[in-house]
Amino acid sequence: MISDNLIVERGVSAGDAWITIAPENVHSALGALKDEGYRLLVFLTCVDHLADSSGPFPARFEVVYELRNMETRELIRVRAFVDGDPPRIDSVHDLFPPANWDERETFDMFGVVFADHPDLTRILMPDDWVGHPLRRDFPVGGEVVEFSEEHETWQTAPEKA
Amino acid sequence: MGVEALAESLGQNILTTTLGKLIGWGRGNSVWPLQFGLACCAIEMIHTATASVDIARFGSEAMRASPRQADMMIVSGRVSQKMAPILRTIYDQMPEPKWVISMGACASTGGVFNNYALLQGVDKIVPVDVYIPGCPPRPEDLLNALMILQERIKAQGITPRQ
Amino acid sequence: MTTEIGQGITVTKTGEQGAFGGELLTINFGPHHPSTHGVLRLIVDLDGEQVRRLKPVIGYLHTGIEKQAEALRWQQVVVVTDRHDYLSPPFNNLAYALAVEKLLGVEVPPRANALRVIMCELTRISSHLVWLGTSGIELGASTMLMYCFRERDTILDMNEEISGFRMHTSYIRPGGVMADATPRFLELLDRFCNQMPGNIDEYEALLTMNPIFRSRTIGIGRLPAEEAKVLGATGPMLRGSGVPWDLRKSMPYSGYENYDFEVATSDLCDCYGRYLVRIKEMRESVKILRQALNGLPDGPVNIDDRKVLPPPREELETSMEAVIHHFKLFTEGYTVPAGDAYAAVESGRGENGCYVVSDGTHKPRRVKFRSASFVNLQPLERMAMNHMVADMVAIIGTADAVLGDVDR
Repeated sequence: MISDNLIVERGVSAGDAWITIAPENVHSALGALKDEGYRLLVFLTCVDHLADSSGPFPARFEVVYELRNMETRELIRVRAFVDGDPPRIDSVHDLFPPANWDERETFDMFGVVFADHPDLTRILMPDDWVGHPLRRDFPVGGEVVEFSEEHETWQTAPEKA
Repeated sequence: MGVEALAESLGQNILTTTLGKLIGWGRGNSVWPLQFGLACCAIEMIHTATASVDIARFGSEAMRASPRQADMMIVSGRVSQKMAPILRTIYDQMPEPKWVISMGACASTGGVFNNYALLQGVDKIVPVDVYIPGCPPRPEDLLNALMILQERIKAQGITPRQ
Repeated sequence: MTTEIGQGITVTKTGEQGAFGGELLTINFGPHHPSTHGVLRLIVDLDGEQVRRLKPVIGYLHTGIEKQAEALRWQQVVVVTDRHDYLSPPFNNLAYALAVEKLLGVEVPPRANALRVIMCELTRISSHLVWLGTSGIELGASTMLMYCFRERDTILDMNEEISGFRMHTSYIRPGGVMADATPRFLELLDRFCNQMPGNIDEYEALLTMNPIFRSRTIGIGRLPAEEAKVLGATGPMLRGSGVPWDLRKSMPYSGYENYDFEVATSDLCDCYGRYLVRIKEMRESVKILRQALNGLPDGPVNIDDRKVLPPPREELETSMEAVIHHFKLFTEGYTVPAGDAYAAVESGRGENGCYVVSDGTHKPRRVKFRSASFVNLQPLERMAMNHMVADMVAIIGTADAVLGDVDR
């Protein structure tokens, strides 16, 4: 059983159960859930809450893990809020091998550094790319479309567009 | 008497043409594509090669994988930042004369995706001869583009576009 | 000894000795290669002909779809969801639609669910046909390509009949489906359901007992069940190893619990087993299509909420509210309550899901696509170990990865 002192908050969002944990405890929390039967890591990603008016949120980056229990057919979402420059959290690739590439992708897109990852390099962008594309302050890029409503502000952050 | 009959039969059995037209006819009817299938348009390109929309009857039977043996590159699909140098390298490896068909909206102008990750049009790195709009274009659109290109090749004659 | 082989990839040769005393040779299965699976790059260390190490390099088709979705309104995102797994557009649409409907708290009417199931199963068949055709031609059976794409043309004609597009239909949207099925569509579907089992028999006659196909796939690319589960594989990769996990049966959605079909599994754990699984899945899909067609319920195909879906065009001539709703929807778009939701569907490749985070505005904060191909590519090294170079083609084929889905 995942012990209650690891859980900071729990809730249900649109029918999905979630728990929030402190980022230092991610390895022990996910290990406990794995022992409980949640053996499939469905996905691992990050959400950037910069200028998010639906908040307040404890930190800017929210690392989200979704685990599935194939016997009881249940899903659970584990959230950990990290901050910092770069934000750091422990890697869980030893518990869940699919996390290897998911963590590389989260590092590439958001800049979250996963400690103890065997090969934390860019996976989707070219190796010499500067910046982390899915952060909210990285512009969408591309070409300016004339006479569009975003014409003036296309090259800046999406929430200004 | 034998000489007149011979002259008449020669007139019926010999064609005269220019060297340019002959070479243009030969090149145009045997354009071998380089399969550069990147994304969804590649699947429609495969449809063009299959039985109902047969591209082979236009001379493009041999869809080569090696750029050294192809004369037309069909860029079918979106070109990402990581793929762009590779596309240019492969284009450079093709021998002259060579042509490029940009198939689909993503290859022509970036398509639905106007963002950091894609080249907004493959003509930023290679010269394009025919653009095909569509997302993805029908296989018959690719045939139409091939026919347009064939007309152009036949008109160019001995020295194609540099 | 470290060398840079371009694209920022460095390879370190350890000077290891191969089995016969020679050095290991590193070769590049470059991103542009004749296999039609897309732009996948593999860096392979070979000892003679045998693979000793394999490193996949992806990212050559990265399209920034997730970033693009943050710049589009909720109803516009459906268009980009079509294009990441480009062999199964309705599945991606459905995952996104289910996630947004969870956040909106709406249930679509039964006719919409039945039409969704019909489109999804047609796409499952067409995706397996592409896999079968391209796998066949890669192993030398070029007839397979022609036969499979002939059937696929029939399915694409049906797509065009119901939505106007051959491939990227954008048919399934949050709130329902794009349009009702026309009588001609139902007629084409009926004819298809009658003809398809005979066509699948044709494919089996060509390949299943073919000695060349069998010797190239039996025993190749073994992935035992425990390893498949640990490595997170889903779909035919998992079912080909004997694990009967199928989201349509285990965690049903869109009315799948009402249809009677079997989950295809195989205990062989190799490429041949996965081939049998996919053939059986095509047959089961035809069964589901027949049941959905016969039991198609009447009724509306969209939810009746004008704040989410536009009113029919005839109403715009008479009702002022309809004009206002239409205007609001096509300029600003609808807002979705703040929160997050995950919905998964069983696509031809495995579990394709969509995790949507809303901050209460008219654009999503984050849309993450859980990609079956991304995870299914990770066992590639395990499956290819100690096989010959020629088997690499069979193994890449059996993983059935669509690079658009891997790179998004």
